[in-house]
Amino acid sequence: MNREKFLAELKAALGRMPESEKREVLADYEEHFRMGMAEGKDEEQIAASLGNPRLLGKSYAIDALLEEPKGGGGVSAVSVLRALFASISLTFFNLIFILGPLLGLVGVMIGLWAAAVSLPLAGVATLVSPLATLVAPGFFTLSGISPAFLVFAGIGVAAIGLLAVIGMWKLTRLFVLMIAAYVKFNARIVTRRK
Amino acid sequence: MNIQFKKGVLELCVLVVLCRKDYYGYELVQTISKNIDIAEGTVYPLLRRLTKEGYFTTYIQESTEGPARKYYQITDKGRQYQAVLLEEWTRFITGVNSLIGKEDVA
Repeated sequence: MNREKFLAELKAALGRMPESEKREVLADYEEHFRMGMAEGKDEEQIAASLGNPRLLGKSYAIDALLEEPKGGGGVSAVSVLRALFASISLTFFNLIFILGPLLGLVGVMIGLWAAAVSLPLAGVATLVSPLATLVAPGFFTLSGISPAFLVFAGIGVAAIGLLAVIGMWKLTRLFVLMIAAYVKFNARIVTRRK
Repeated sequence: MNIQFKKGVLELCVLVVLCRKDYYGYELVQTISKNIDIAEGTVYPLLRRLTKEGYFTTYIQESTEGPARKYYQITDKGRQYQAVLLEEWTRFITGVNSLIGKEDVA
């Protein structure tokens, strides 16, 4: 592979990185080629010892996606997922051993969220059920349960449900951060061209 | 050597080498690849990430032979990080060596 082809493949693999940053990255490799050639090496030799330009480009793209946005705010879930996807495409290993368990975990999270959200809804429904009998007495009956009991039980279930939602919120943040840490770790693979 | 193993060590190597003096990219890559067998291109993403994380700063300096070069200089934060990694590495390698040295490990 010659210099031009190496740089073109690298640039293509940088993905959604801003143009100015792409130029900075490419400049590092252009400098490397220039100095290698000044030492009498040919383009093919230099490109071969640099490694696979597509894999190199991917590792920049992943680093860029995982950078903390300027002015705080942390890593967004969308950028984490996008970086994860880029990382998955790095190796076949990831596709089989990481994507499967990950999708399973995402499913578990969705299930837990559904359970957490349904609790406060159930609480509110219980709380207002005595009202329903006032609005349409012929249609709804309380089956002999005291309205006071329903009101207090409703408040109790709604409160527990709110705690569950707060807990899920924290658990989801932790989940996203764990994925981010894994992707970062994974992206630092030393890519040796065979 | 195992790829997973090398990638962690590379970060330490770059920090250790830059603790000694400022290097320009090509010179640093050659110094490292002379000693360990890596794809030379992987040093640049690492340099960029560590620079963004505040462990290095860069400056451009004209050279007598050919065009200007981009030099990397370690920061105080970089030195501290290097000390932590080096300490971890030394503890690890001491442990491994003592396991290798012993015939039977209980």
